[in-house]
Amino acid sequence: MSAKSNKNCFEPEVVLLYCQHCVGDGAEIAVQSQQACGFSVRPMMMPCSSKIEVPYILRILEQGADAVELVACPDGGCRFLVGSLRAEKRIDYIRKLLTQINFGAERVGISRGPGLSGEELLALAADRAEAVRNLGANPMKKGEHR
Amino acid sequence: MIFAEWKPLEELTDKLGGFKKVLLAGCATCVAECAAGGEKEVETLAPLLRMGLKEKGFDVEILTATLEKQCEWEFVEELAELVQQVDAVLSIACGIGVQALAERFDERPVYPGVNTSALTIRQESGLWASRCAACGDCVLGETFGLCPVARCAKSLMNGPCGGTRANGSCELDEDVDCIWKLIVDRAEARGALESLAEIKKPKDWSASRHGGPKRVIREELRQ
Repeated sequence: MSAKSNKNCFEPEVVLLYCQHCVGDGAEIAVQSQQACGFSVRPMMMPCSSKIEVPYILRILEQGADAVELVACPDGGCRFLVGSLRAEKRIDYIRKLLTQINFGAERVGISRGPGLSGEELLALAADRAEAVRNLGANPMKKGEHR
Repeated sequence: MIFAEWKPLEELTDKLGGFKKVLLAGCATCVAECAAGGEKEVETLAPLLRMGLKEKGFDVEILTATLEKQCEWEFVEELAELVQQVDAVLSIACGIGVQALAERFDERPVYPGVNTSALTIRQESGLWASRCAACGDCVLGETFGLCPVARCAKSLMNGPCGGTRANGSCELDEDVDCIWKLIVDRAEARGALESLAEIKKPKDWSASRHGGPKRVIREELRQ
């Protein structure tokens, strides 16, 4: 039985990409040690949210992740001035593309820092996991069939 | 540059659904400049096609390659081995590149992944605008370097129509300048306004698409 056909058993796998400047001290260690309930999270720290190009996120989804959450610095708070703005535009574009292929725009999202703790990062991943719960598992995941 | 945009993804996945293995072929020249068909766009479109096809219930393997130029036979030849491995080719080069692949690899279906629409300049990041219509009888020397063929909605050759807005923009699109307004402004700035009043011969449209498919022979270059 696929996770799509049994949404109650579906535990979304969320890839959490976050800018190193939007988290507080020790957040990366904290998020890795947190226990996620009802979903799994793979955190990955980036030098800037704008380092994430469109193909990277699509490749993450292609490889089976159920959702991707990008965490960027707040408006006006990016150390590269427009990095987080670029990241937001790319996420909007990806969501439009995913809608076109009926894959679910909700699989990708962006949220903002600054100074996030490990618990807060995990909460953002939990929100993204909830957003995709109704979509079911990524059909690209091995063993998934539509 | 030659400007193109992706066809709707739904149209592309509909087209490729019946195949087992497809080659997605990009071109690193004009269509890379307009962010439609270069290496980056190939790497963006390939996962989208795989996911879109999977969503529709198809398992299609997508191979990728980006040529330096899809409109030159020497480069096209680089795809020969890859094309043997696939059932179909999706080209996101301009219409010239698509036809080059279709001619060289005529045993395989070759589909266009983009709509080729104009000869443009990139005015700023994310904004392209028509500059040339390849009309075959260039008038830029008489119009102060501003093309009324490509940049006037009616391709008027003798001044603005009655639809120019008060702010100097085109009646069809307020974000587009009336090109004849710009021509007159530039003529005036150069003190050459009277040159626009000269009676000119009718433009030779036979050199444009109206004259049928173009075929140019230059004997000095032939072998």
